[in-house]
Amino acid sequence: MSGIRVEGLEKRFGARTAVEGLTFEVRPGEVFGLLGPNGAGKTTTVRMLTGLLTPSKGHASVCGVELPLKSDDDGVALRKKVGLLTEQPGLYDRLSARENLEFFMRLNEVDEVAAWKLANALLERFGLKGREDEPVGGFSKGMRQKLAIVRALVHSPEVVFLDEPTSGLDPQSGRVVRDAIAELAKEGRTMVLCSHNLPEVERLCSRVAVIKNRLRTVASLTELRREGLALDVQVDGDASAFGSALAKLSFQVGHQAEGSRLRVMLDREEQSPDVITCLVQAGARIHSAQRAARPLEEAYLELVREEQEAP
Amino acid sequence: MSFRLSRALAVYRKDLLDLRKNRGLLWSMLALPLVIVVTPLGVVFAYVRNPNDPSLKAIALYYDLTVDLANTARFLVEKVLADWFVIYLVMPVFVPILISSHAVAGEKEKRTLEPLLASPVTPLELVIGKSLASLVPSVILCTLAFFLLCAGVDIVAWPLAKELVLPNGMWLFGVFVIAPLFAFFGNGVAVLLSARVGDSRLAQQLAGLMVLPLIGLAAGQFAGWLKAGTTYYALIGGLVLLLDLVIVVVARRLFDRERLMSRWG
Repeated sequence: MSGIRVEGLEKRFGARTAVEGLTFEVRPGEVFGLLGPNGAGKTTTVRMLTGLLTPSKGHASVCGVELPLKSDDDGVALRKKVGLLTEQPGLYDRLSARENLEFFMRLNEVDEVAAWKLANALLERFGLKGREDEPVGGFSKGMRQKLAIVRALVHSPEVVFLDEPTSGLDPQSGRVVRDAIAELAKEGRTMVLCSHNLPEVERLCSRVAVIKNRLRTVASLTELRREGLALDVQVDGDASAFGSALAKLSFQVGHQAEGSRLRVMLDREEQSPDVITCLVQAGARIHSAQRAARPLEEAYLELVREEQEAP
Repeated sequence: MSFRLSRALAVYRKDLLDLRKNRGLLWSMLALPLVIVVTPLGVVFAYVRNPNDPSLKAIALYYDLTVDLANTARFLVEKVLADWFVIYLVMPVFVPILISSHAVAGEKEKRTLEPLLASPVTPLELVIGKSLASLVPSVILCTLAFFLLCAGVDIVAWPLAKELVLPNGMWLFGVFVIAPLFAFFGNGVAVLLSARVGDSRLAQQLAGLMVLPLIGLAAGQFAGWLKAGTTYYALIGGLVLLLDLVIVVVARRLFDRERLMSRWG
């Protein structure tokens, strides 16, 4: 069972609560996003799910291993079933790529012949073949991160955790790493991707959990975009002139004006006619009005903002 | 029981490989044995070159009023070698400190600690693997230095002694019993400190302070207040054995995955 089930997970460091009330499920074969701003508790969550930190409250099951861990044996079993790509590649610079991989193969006690077959295929795919015997210290950031991905996979884990895999990379290296992850996603691996990079999450994940110290929502990206609909209205002249008219509505809506385009955020589809009537009454000459899915960024920022405003 | 020797050996092999490729550290490791071997040779040479120098008699009498005045040079050669063993002990303490202070603090500095702790290796395997990687080279280095010292002293002292001065019972007991206990102590202190402090240099500096008691003992011996010999070193060894046991107990408590992760991850 390569899925993850999390129920009421919480982690406190002394008096500070890093994350609380986490409940979600990751299905086998799914690429699941953990979305949240810096300091939201994403890394703490991953560390709990990989057995590096003990939850203060709640429980979880990762690949059939129950958390909190009951024994050292459970910890070993869990860590053999999961792969972790950390934000920093964490490679041994003086050692070659081969020596780095060999070390982790031995720690995982895998059949080295089979593991090398897999590693060679991954090195080939990521363009690192032929560089195995060079010291890792001479690798570019992108190469190092790709090698770290190979390291996270050499023991054929059931679940791979990717913690901010493109953070700190230049755009080109970031793209290379994203492409590599996308290829792995196509293979049907269960992956948990921690990120605050929304385009990355949009490209790679099917569902996400938005967290900011506690769970805000778990939804598919389509659901998240639709959580509030947007109405794009094209008017004559400066659209910002009609923003104040929207305040007279009996319900509250957010809006953004850009040139002659006014984007109005709705809670329900039924609010569209009232918005259009309100704008017409305010003297707007409407060229077009069409419903649009709210961009992920807006949905995300709204969720995080609400969380910030919560007592 | 989840302890697997293969995983501890994997850590040992990796650290050893890393050490082999760290030339700066290798050179600094070699400098100390060189000084510890060459310095007593110089002193022995000074005694052997002019064994009838009247000032040698004065020095010998300062240390022992019952000394045979016809053999003061031989007495002083044996005295300097007995006293020098405490300086030799700086090596088994300091060489593991040089290596082990990189052991955990180095992993933290290079951000390799999290991937390492996310692997199936247990904290006990990690400590054993890293300790072996520090103890094995230092024991080998100390033994080689001892053989070099024996050869050097016997060559230099031959015109005077006409027999082998080293190895003697005290040095053999010291090198093969006491020195490993000191190496274990130096390694343990460095591993514990590197698990507690943020960078390897600070760990090295703090652990380096552990050699100060040895320097104090040496000063006491050279001043004539302490008389070095097998019993004296056996007593010191017994004390270090107790400290080693304390280190094992503390290491078991301190070397915890959660503690390391929440503090340094």
